[in-house]
Amino acid sequence: MSNLRNRLLGILLLSAVAAWALFPRNRTVRQRGADGVLRESVERHVPLRLGLDLQGGMHLTLEVDESKQTVADKSEAIDRALKTVRNRIEGFGVSEPVIQKVGTDRIIVELPGMADQERARQVVQDQAFLEFKITDKTGALERVLPRLDAIIKERKLAPATASTVTPSVSRGLEGLLKAADTGKQDTSKKAGAKKDTTRADSLAASGGALSNLIQQGGMPGEYLIESSMVPRVTAFLEDSAVRAAFPPAKSLQWGTDSTAIAGKTYRMLYVLDSRAIMTGEYLTDARPNTSPLEGTIVQFELNNVGGRRFRSETGKHVNDYMAIVLDGRVMGRPPVIQSAISTNGQITMGGKDLAAAQDLALVLRAGALPVPLRVAEVRNIGPSLGQDSIDKGVRASLLALVLIVVVMVVYYKLSGLLAVTALTFYALFTLAILAFFGAVLTLPGIAGFVLSIGIAVDANVLIFERIREELDRGKTVRTAIDEGFRHAMPAIIDSNVSTILTAAVLYQYGTGPVKGFAVTLIAGIVASLVSAIFIVRTFFMVWLQRKRGLETLSI
Amino acid sequence: MLRILHGTNYDFIKVWRLMVVLTLAFIAIGAGMVVVRLVGKRPTVNYSIEFTGGTLMQLKFAQPPQGDELRAVLSGAGYSHAEIQEYGAPDEYTVRARLEGPQAATAQGDSSAKQIERALKAKYGSEGVTVRRGEFVGPRVGDELRRNALIAILISFAVTLVYLAVRFEWRFGVAAVIATAHDTITTIAFITMMHLEVSLTVVAAILTVIGYSLNDTIIIFDRVRENLRKQRRESLRDVLNRSINETLPRSIMTHATTLAATVSLLAFAGEVIRPFSWVMTFGIFTGTFSSIYVAGALLLWIEYRWPRAEGESKGTARALAEERRQKDVG
Repeated sequence: MSNLRNRLLGILLLSAVAAWALFPRNRTVRQRGADGVLRESVERHVPLRLGLDLQGGMHLTLEVDESKQTVADKSEAIDRALKTVRNRIEGFGVSEPVIQKVGTDRIIVELPGMADQERARQVVQDQAFLEFKITDKTGALERVLPRLDAIIKERKLAPATASTVTPSVSRGLEGLLKAADTGKQDTSKKAGAKKDTTRADSLAASGGALSNLIQQGGMPGEYLIESSMVPRVTAFLEDSAVRAAFPPAKSLQWGTDSTAIAGKTYRMLYVLDSRAIMTGEYLTDARPNTSPLEGTIVQFELNNVGGRRFRSETGKHVNDYMAIVLDGRVMGRPPVIQSAISTNGQITMGGKDLAAAQDLALVLRAGALPVPLRVAEVRNIGPSLGQDSIDKGVRASLLALVLIVVVMVVYYKLSGLLAVTALTFYALFTLAILAFFGAVLTLPGIAGFVLSIGIAVDANVLIFERIREELDRGKTVRTAIDEGFRHAMPAIIDSNVSTILTAAVLYQYGTGPVKGFAVTLIAGIVASLVSAIFIVRTFFMVWLQRKRGLETLSI
Repeated sequence: MLRILHGTNYDFIKVWRLMVVLTLAFIAIGAGMVVVRLVGKRPTVNYSIEFTGGTLMQLKFAQPPQGDELRAVLSGAGYSHAEIQEYGAPDEYTVRARLEGPQAATAQGDSSAKQIERALKAKYGSEGVTVRRGEFVGPRVGDELRRNALIAILISFAVTLVYLAVRFEWRFGVAAVIATAHDTITTIAFITMMHLEVSLTVVAAILTVIGYSLNDTIIIFDRVRENLRKQRRESLRDVLNRSINETLPRSIMTHATTLAATVSLLAFAGEVIRPFSWVMTFGIFTGTFSSIYVAGALLLWIEYRWPRAEGESKGTARALAEERRQKDVG
């Protein structure tokens, strides 16, 4: 009797713990905000969150991009990148984002309810490496161009059509503007060429594949490339021999801006000193703003050390042009340095809108990524599809449940009913274990759960069949039940232990969904053992207690 | 007491030749379809983009698109090789552009979704079509997933083998693992026959099938072990047959309840999970089949091929001796 009471108490306790694990509650979380201040916030913690495929949202897998440079210690780099990505996402205002390192070289980011995927991707992926560089005023490109042309010719990089293109005489910006004014292309072209400085003449004189495409811009180190020719010029410049021939102290960088002259659009190409006079690591704050003159801008502030360095560097370069380079792109047109600048500066965004400025400010504040990241995987699920999947999952689960109940009750009568009642506990326990492991409910997860209900009754089927065999041998109801449970045990143990072992291997060696599946499997087995053996046994004991001298068993 | 298949006495071992032929024929059909696809230069296995890398979009249209309209729009956007498939309803489609050749090497495919969406919105208007799901997977991820899944399966086989060798005897372990491998192979044959999309969910289904089949086999072997311990004058073959017959009601009942679950999934859980549901429905069938028809016959063959040493496992030795005696008499 006391044994029975202990068992009932045990079931009650287990159910209470399980129910508690599944109950949503508030948790106080201490977190360092994007501005570096520790804050306490109350978070509503809902166990068994819905996966992205059920609630809609975006999933990103990022990996180290080694296309430009190799990274020695990827794991360490990813750790540092993780911190930056987390800072950025926290400033982004998505509820319950997941930012995790997976394996040694990947980061996964999950943004529930995120709709604008391009924007999200940019914020996560932009390296935000900010540099300030002085534009070249020594004519480095002009000097090296003949050699580059020769290399291009030698390596046959220029397409065959390039030679048939009428060699356009390179002119300065003034020449182009004049051409637009007069409309007399031919005459002004020659005139412009003649009027040009020796530098511009040398650009034209070589007549090579590359120099034909490059025109002098409006400031030292600035050049114009016609938009349609940008891919070809890029291909030239990325060639290894061309790169090797370029002076190491200078670097070539594309601008974000383009200008329209005489109905054609031109992209800016800059020759900059390779050495940066300042980088974004000294940045303490960045704010988006709009200015009536320059449109949207991002104002930034440097810390004291950075400010001192910036002042001395800019002091040396008064009247030079300073390019603001973000992730290898020159932002806007380089402004002229009028006097030494210390802690405050700004980046003009050109024609971009305020949202772009906000995002830039956000990534600048959060800091640069230590390594460039590349998107290895994206999934985004619209909210309507998520709801649809939930509805379908629920419908399938209900049908499965009804069918299983019918099969069990028709075949095993009252005993079947006991087993089905124990299934309620099974479901409760499984979900509680999953919640304990911090599992996320996905559509395949629901399918797996439905399936596990079908398999969960197996232990009961085994036991009931055993009890029937014992009854066939003429044993009394009480001993048949005892023997049935006892004899069914080895089979139940062996079959379930081997399944748990399989699941453990999958958990250890599997990735992502396979791992999640393994957890579901283990949770299901443990819960089904408890419900089928312990709980159903207790039910039988209660039944026998009530009906002493029971002669036939409804099984 | 309602009973099915109670007190049966089928000779399951006797029909082993027929079952081997049936199984091999089934696998041959699956392999044949792979060959046919190879000859026709079509993809042999319908891998999801999780494995191949590429872009997948699930689209819902306000009006079902007419004929080849969709194909034309995609070709216009430069995706003439994209696969287009109706997805559950006439107004829903999936578009799949796998990473191929030089594109795979550069992995710039993550902008495909944007380009496709732009082309579609230009044609149908921003209200006319909604992107319900979009996925992009880089090329490296897929390779790794495939390798990891395979490694996981092989290691789990090894672990099972060791466990069964300890709990039963190595011959039982080998028989169980081969029977389970049989199920994996027939399930893969089934997948190629149906040309089901092989995604990670389907891999999980195959793993579930492995677990289920192993379970089934072990329960029969447990009964074999128990019957061998009883002091009966019975040949090993009879012991095996008896054990399979005794556990038959359980095998069928558990199959029935599990089938109830997979059929519900097939009927109601929708397109996304359909390949999973098919694999499970077939898998629990082949799992039950193999534990009844394959595992027992296999164990008998192994016991003959590598007979036990003197004094080892009295029950089995006695059963084998009895078998020889009966043969001599016969």
